[in-house]
Amino acid sequence: MTPILEIKQLYKSFGGLEALKDISFNIDSGEIIGLIGPNGAGKTTLFNCVAGIEKPTAGRIIFTKEDRTVSIGGKKPEAVTALGIARTFQNIRLFDNLTVLDNVKIGRHCRTKSLFFGAVIRSKSQRTEEKMIAESAGRFLEFVGLKGRGDEIASSMPYGDQRRLEIARALATEPRLLMLDEPAAGMNPQESRDLMDLMRRIRDNGITVLLIEHDMKVVMGVCERVVVINHGEWLAEGLPQDVQNNPKVIEAYLGTGAANAA
Amino acid sequence: MGKSEPYNLTRGAKIRIGLLILALIFPFFPFVSDYLLHIVILIFLYMILALGLNIVPGFNGLLDLGYVGFYGIGAYTSGLLTYHFGLSYWIIIPLAFINGAIWGMLLGAPTLRLTGDYFAIVTFGFSELVVLFLTNEIWLTRGPLGLPGIDVVSIDLTLFGGPKWEFIGELPYYYLAIVMVLVTVFVMYRIQDSRLGRAWFAIRDDEVAAVSCGINLLAYKVIAFAISAAFGAVGGSFFARWVTFLSPDMFKFWESFLILCMIVLGGMGNIWGVMIGAVILVSMSEILRELLPLLGLPVEVRFLAFGLIMVLMMRFRPAGMMPIAAVAAQMRAGRTKRKKTKPVVAIKK
Repeated sequence: MTPILEIKQLYKSFGGLEALKDISFNIDSGEIIGLIGPNGAGKTTLFNCVAGIEKPTAGRIIFTKEDRTVSIGGKKPEAVTALGIARTFQNIRLFDNLTVLDNVKIGRHCRTKSLFFGAVIRSKSQRTEEKMIAESAGRFLEFVGLKGRGDEIASSMPYGDQRRLEIARALATEPRLLMLDEPAAGMNPQESRDLMDLMRRIRDNGITVLLIEHDMKVVMGVCERVVVINHGEWLAEGLPQDVQNNPKVIEAYLGTGAANAA
Repeated sequence: MGKSEPYNLTRGAKIRIGLLILALIFPFFPFVSDYLLHIVILIFLYMILALGLNIVPGFNGLLDLGYVGFYGIGAYTSGLLTYHFGLSYWIIIPLAFINGAIWGMLLGAPTLRLTGDYFAIVTFGFSELVVLFLTNEIWLTRGPLGLPGIDVVSIDLTLFGGPKWEFIGELPYYYLAIVMVLVTVFVMYRIQDSRLGRAWFAIRDDEVAAVSCGINLLAYKVIAFAISAAFGAVGGSFFARWVTFLSPDMFKFWESFLILCMIVLGGMGNIWGVMIGAVILVSMSEILRELLPLLGLPVEVRFLAFGLIMVLMMRFRPAGMMPIAAVAAQMRAGRTKRKKTKPVVAIKK
């Protein structure tokens, strides 16, 4: 399998704090890969580096798009989105005052182009574009299971639905790689199962999924491969069950001694 | 939509049509004096300005304290072009629009990277700079002497062998102002429901999420600032040809504050709310102007009253009289759950 994203010797420090130290791993095209580690391990920092929100201190992030490789270390976040990398956030970040449909429509932003004069004159091309935005937004809502809820205000929806709306919005940017930051946090078992099903359907649509998750049931249930990081360093990588039984991983989660006991 | 028959108009549409008809026949009511008509035109002018300013704090969530600078630029653009070149007002409108947009971009492009209060201070500084320029560059603006004798608006058809009709008295300006308000409202509604408007709302609600959707923050903020400035300049161009006299002290900071008050009072981001804010504050300003001297107080005390209104609004209805739909929905939900909701649309810090 060809890698869609290669992370090579990535470093990120905030002042004296080294959040990421020499992280290297590949993400293969078409897989669901889990990124786990204890709190403060640097998972979200890694996300932010890939998404362009943080600039890596050193190292390279290489994204493969249609046989072309692009280095995205230090690219602007909007450019990264345009390349085909979308993400959701650990603490849900929706456009609270807008409707569910408008939230997804905004996801279409980077794939559309009308501006001020198009909006005022409502030229033919602008109208067709607007129609396409509405149609595809509706499709993405249906895909995540929010069909017919387009007119609700985003912030008034239940927590689990907000999570799914955020995924719909990310999908609307037509990503090749989707990064989900703790999507199952705060979900009940049924919602988690639905979420796992949704992730598999996303993968089946040809989108690679990178998942940060603390809920091990979800990670073990859906991921084909898992990367573990701890204190900003690469710790282990492999099949979910192998990683789960790796003494180093158990030690990182439960502390020294726990591995020996097990 | 196209199939709707006149009988099936929604309540909102009925109110709108009713108000428009009322506005059109208003000058012919027996009690309407020239003075009253003048004030209503002033209300329309401030509606245009408030709708223009609304783009920045209402649609984008950025505090702009220097809007009057663009109003002044538009007014002097109009005044000077008329004074020196005798240009027709119909040509001046697009020129003022473009000039406003250019200055909006010139100010916005380097400064819109700043956030919250820092940006507000820059805009405030800019508007003061405009006043200083208008006061001191006497060769261009005649400085504090002002610019008198600007031609009135006219419809000149002599080129086509038709008549030339000059706008004398308040009545023609009244209808011109209505047309300009209608165009402004039309543009605002169209923007609100477009890719551009959605990008702005996204920036207002969450900048990080907006960026993740591929929105270039700086570019869209500059566009917002330029369009906002352009409407301010168009308002100014009307003002110049209407009062036919300009002086730099007409464009003091107070005007920015007054327009901002209209937006906060009416409901930030809500087109109708902003217009109602203009109606209330302009009429109140005029009433206080008459009332305060009777109480033995200087007329400037009215700004104190505006300040008091702002404080009360912030305390009791931080989202304004007509909050945008989502905020209104949340406030209702908060009320039924007996839970205090935080104001959702607030200026970014």
